[in-house]
Amino acid sequence: MEELKGASINEIERLFKKKKAYVAAIISILSIIIGQLVVIGFRLGTGSRAADRAEFPLLVLSIYINTILPLFTALVTIDMFTGEFSQNTIKIALLRPISRLKLYFSKIIAITFFVFINLFLVMALSTLAGMFFNPGTMSIKELLRILLAYTVSMLPILTITLILVFIANLFKNGVVAFLVSTILYIAMKAFEIYNNSYKIIFITSTLGWYSHWTGSEIPIDSLVREFLVMFACSLMAFSAGFYLFDKKEL
Amino acid sequence: MVKGIIMEVVLEIKELNKVFKNGRGIRDINLNICKGDVFGLLGANGAGKTTTMKVMTGLMKPDSGDVKIFGHSITTHHEKAMKNVGCIIEMSESYPYLTAFENLKQISRYYDYIDNIRINEVLEMVGIYKYRNEKTKNFSFGMKQRLGIASAILSNPKLVILDEPLNGLDVEGMVAIRNLIRKLSDEEGTTFFISSHLINDVELTCNRVGVIFNGKIINEDYTANILRDYATLENYFISEVDSNGRA
Repeated sequence: MEELKGASINEIERLFKKKKAYVAAIISILSIIIGQLVVIGFRLGTGSRAADRAEFPLLVLSIYINTILPLFTALVTIDMFTGEFSQNTIKIALLRPISRLKLYFSKIIAITFFVFINLFLVMALSTLAGMFFNPGTMSIKELLRILLAYTVSMLPILTITLILVFIANLFKNGVVAFLVSTILYIAMKAFEIYNNSYKIIFITSTLGWYSHWTGSEIPIDSLVREFLVMFACSLMAFSAGFYLFDKKEL
Repeated sequence: MVKGIIMEVVLEIKELNKVFKNGRGIRDINLNICKGDVFGLLGANGAGKTTTMKVMTGLMKPDSGDVKIFGHSITTHHEKAMKNVGCIIEMSESYPYLTAFENLKQISRYYDYIDNIRINEVLEMVGIYKYRNEKTKNFSFGMKQRLGIASAILSNPKLVILDEPLNGLDVEGMVAIRNLIRKLSDEEGTTFFISSHLINDVELTCNRVGVIFNGKIINEDYTANILRDYATLENYFISEVDSNGRA
């Protein structure tokens, strides 16, 4: 396990040494500022509350998890797989005493860490913004509701990540992999809106999974159904992605 | 086996085949490299040197045959096989956005016994210690090659596989790396498998030589034996390639 630990630290270190991580952090902060300005503008213009203290972080989450986070996750994932193969830097790790499965797993750990940091940075900042700039109250119960919403959101975004890992290993060119991922994502989102009753067949619909957890009643059947869809997709994407990763030659 | 002494086989290549769609590749490679050997694989461009090394180190999978390093198959037990191996294959790669030190630190994490002192030591050995905090994107080709050699020897490997290690080095660098190979071989008993098309360097560095031509090993012998029959290694190489080219 020493190799897996070392490889995971390496992947995380490299991820945060690149500019992409800082750009992701800056855009996350900007999205919260813009979101807050829109809410204030709406409030001043219409006199409506738009979003109160406890709702603001969930409003940010609903936008962030469907737009910016998948975008940066795709960039990071494709860079970590397709990018390293096309630049030959993957050779540095492949020539060390570590199996391809451990190396593959260490990259997924690093992306998970990136997603985790991003989500919780946005949660912390949007909660603070919500407290200072919006009306209403924020009880401990509501804070826990926000924490729960952001925590359970890790699962659908990780499923999307594993699908991205699979796509990244399908192509030799990072730009092509990114284009295919983006087109697929937009197409799924569009179909989801066009045919709402069949949206469960599109994995992107699970990005709203957190809303099941934050309502007044928890719909167990929907939760279990979506969990099983995510679990099955994750298993298939992980296995197919590893099959391609293991077969790659330099 | 040499002079009745049983030598420990470090690297065993058996019936190795890897043929590409264009018909080029390697065929029926059989080799045994013993502990302490400094083996030089000589061949023209496209003869199959790099393909052999890529299959040996698991970067490519063979069509058939196997490579055993310290008794472990590279195809089925990659982790164990590579435990005591350091290598540069094709070109010395580094992460351009990391410094020389950070690049070596990344490699050190695959082993539990490499500390910062060892990293500084190898940077000193290859002559780039003063550039340790510079990002490698600013390095010249020769400096990258030196860093590659530093990363290959960082873990104190028992077997070092180097593909064209002297490429891009100035004369001073070539001499320094040659001396380093000799020192590691003599003092620590490190085994080397070096590929090169620079015959003179192989003659000066290696005690055993193999010639690869059109993807096949056409001959291999100890350098001393070869030089008993030929004035230079170059004459031997030309003679071997000519006789096989005509065949």
